[in-house]
Amino acid sequence: MNYLFDPSNWEWLWSGNNLEFLLKAFLINLEIAAIAIVFSLIFGLLLALTRLSKLRPLALAGGVWVDLWRNLPLIFIILYLALAMPPSWQDAYEDVVPSFFPEALQSGRVFAGILGLVLYNSAVIAEIMRAGILSLDRGQGEAAASLGLTYPRQLRYVILPQGLRRMVPATVSQLITLNKDTTLVSIIAISEVMRAGRTLSSGFTAFVGGVEAPLLQVFIFIGLLFVAVNLALSRLSRRLEVRERKRTAGPVGGVEDQTALVTESS
Amino acid sequence: MTELWNVLADHFSEFSTGFWVTVRIVVISFVIAMVVGTLVATMRIAPVKLLNWVGGVFVEVFRNTPLLVLLFISYAGLRRAGLPISAWVAGVGSLGLYTSAYVAEALRSGVFAVGKGQIDASLSLGLDYPRTLRYVILPQAVRTVIPHLGSLTIAMIKNSAIIGVSLLALEDLLHQARLVNSRTFQTDEVFFWAAVGYLILTLLTTLAVRRLEVRYAIHR
Repeated sequence: MNYLFDPSNWEWLWSGNNLEFLLKAFLINLEIAAIAIVFSLIFGLLLALTRLSKLRPLALAGGVWVDLWRNLPLIFIILYLALAMPPSWQDAYEDVVPSFFPEALQSGRVFAGILGLVLYNSAVIAEIMRAGILSLDRGQGEAAASLGLTYPRQLRYVILPQGLRRMVPATVSQLITLNKDTTLVSIIAISEVMRAGRTLSSGFTAFVGGVEAPLLQVFIFIGLLFVAVNLALSRLSRRLEVRERKRTAGPVGGVEDQTALVTESS
Repeated sequence: MTELWNVLADHFSEFSTGFWVTVRIVVISFVIAMVVGTLVATMRIAPVKLLNWVGGVFVEVFRNTPLLVLLFISYAGLRRAGLPISAWVAGVGSLGLYTSAYVAEALRSGVFAVGKGQIDASLSLGLDYPRTLRYVILPQAVRTVIPHLGSLTIAMIKNSAIIGVSLLALEDLLHQARLVNSRTFQTDEVFFWAAVGYLILTLLTTLAVRRLEVRYAIHR
């Protein structure tokens, strides 16, 4: 305990540009998370609709795809992609990545990480969205159909706004998990916050005359960064939820009930 | 195709050792997660403000920190600080505590689903608080949260793969797969069999949870 709170073991945080170095690396994690979130939501919705499709073979194929990716460990997927991805995919990524992206995201190596995050999380989110849509009363779709709305319009104006809104808490909790999982790309040598933490605590700074950064304290600090961001995310989601509940009829309970809903309907 | 079977035949002992290490990690972490999770859930619903607060902090810290960070802290961090912790203790401890925060939240929501009326009824029958918990609340709460505990267990199986690739030298299934791959370079074949191993575990758990659910379901 004395070791943990000894001020000399926290001195590294204020000395030199250590703090800036860590925060910049943490920003890379947040950026990877942001990109992965956007694509996971898009593909998650597409996969959910595929699974609910009236075309049997299409629904079945979607089901196999989703069950495959969400039942494999994410770290496994990322490692496999990093080892097996053809170099041409990495080149293709480097060609399409916008130039305003930070330097760490320009390299093709990061593509395996982002692709892995999207493959895994889009499958999980697809299940959440599907459960939300299935929890709607059938009458909603039927009423929309009898009013003469085409299937895409039923989705756009009646089913999705209600079905997806119900599942906001479960989706946000999955996005928080995604945010934590960005640390896994450190395994494939992307210089994000875990790598930065190891660089800081490698003893090299002490060697060149700086202040020694003890590994325990460095990673406790990194953990606290994640806690802060994730708490802010979940607070935001709770506030949205309360506002929605005031506006509309009661949605499906909290995160726990929604996760149960996902498991039951799968 | 023959390549695929050859890889399995040549390296079966590595795959099976890895598989059983993963099973052991999962079983031990599961026990830790359930025990600590139940304790923390009890703290969070206890009629003592301080305990509520401690339980709340525990849940938020362990739920919002990446597992990889917990592993770094508990193994390399504590070792550098002079605490000789073993890879196994750090590995299953991190995974168990990480999952226990989710378990605590699941149980707590299950307790709330039981309803205040039942608790009041039990207290007015003369049962004290621990007994109310033991005989009235928990048996019902556990049943309503079975599906959620199941999906947490599946998540835990998947998260166990993080232990083997981080700096902890636990030779689980993914760790063994990487070792075999570094010798044979037959990435597709090696990872195919590792995937089979993980899918056996996750899909079997899914089936087991579904059976439990049917058996203990409360029809309301």
